[in-house]
Amino acid sequence: METKKDTNDKHLDEDIKFLKHIQNGLPLTKTPYSDIGDALGMTEAEVIERLRRLLDEGKVRRLAASIAHRKIGINSNAMCVWKVPKERVDEVGAIMASFEEVTHCYERPVFPDWEHNVYTMIHGYTDSECEDVINRIKEKTGVEDYIVLYSEKEFKKVGVRI
Amino acid sequence: MIDINDRKILQRLQTNLPLTSRPFLALAEELGFDEEFIIERIKFFCEQGYVRRLAPIINTQRVGRSATLAAIKVPEDRIDEVSEVINSYSSVSHNYLRKGRNMEMPYNMWFTMSTPTKDDLVANFKEIEEKTGLEVAGFPTIKKFKIGVKFKIY
Repeated sequence: METKKDTNDKHLDEDIKFLKHIQNGLPLTKTPYSDIGDALGMTEAEVIERLRRLLDEGKVRRLAASIAHRKIGINSNAMCVWKVPKERVDEVGAIMASFEEVTHCYERPVFPDWEHNVYTMIHGYTDSECEDVINRIKEKTGVEDYIVLYSEKEFKKVGVRI
Repeated sequence: MIDINDRKILQRLQTNLPLTSRPFLALAEELGFDEEFIIERIKFFCEQGYVRRLAPIINTQRVGRSATLAAIKVPEDRIDEVSEVINSYSSVSHNYLRKGRNMEMPYNMWFTMSTPTKDDLVANFKEIEEKTGLEVAGFPTIKKFKIGVKFKIY
């Protein structure tokens, strides 16, 4: 499993404390950073500086809204897994990632009864929109061996918290 | 219901909020609305569940946590029972029943788990295996080509 913890990171503990405080939502006020500062004993400038550093260091991917996509009408979510020859993974992965409708693209390990190694998450307003993306990916990469896995049931979906 | 202006705001909210003293004022000027209007709409989106949260999206691995995708082959008649076991873990953020559309496939229950350490992941998997009698297959990321859920809203 992956871990990319930098054990020499002197900021890590304070960063985790900071993020735990705001991971459930920024204050919806005119001056959210100042209000976070008031709660944590920091100045507005320090809060902004901290957020900028967290973004620069990649500890925060985005300071943005998590959208409930089904509520917006984006009802189709297809996980498409592809059997890509090892030597083509980098090239094909980059092509797949370039599709706007592909929100996630990863290489993952194979098992004796599971030889599909590249995973793409595709979101669309309808299943046929997802099918269309899959066909375009097929054409552009020449990869023909794939399985489309639609979610039949959502048992759980919550944001990851630390 | 959301209208075209809401869609415009939602589209913009998927990218970084400005790091300025009055970020919503900056957004308002960018989109041609009032600051108060933007804040009111965002509150509405959160209350009505269009937006889960407006917050830092944390790269959990970068802050030292371990995470993986995992899957189980669950017999049809045990799906509810096994999903309850999986969902009972607060470390599980997503859990879906998936079926192959164009092809049969062995794994049908897919979930993601994020824990403070790798040992916790291993221990949780073992525990799930003991509770269900089913094998948990881990599909950790080897290489990341894209992660940036951004939807076409507007």
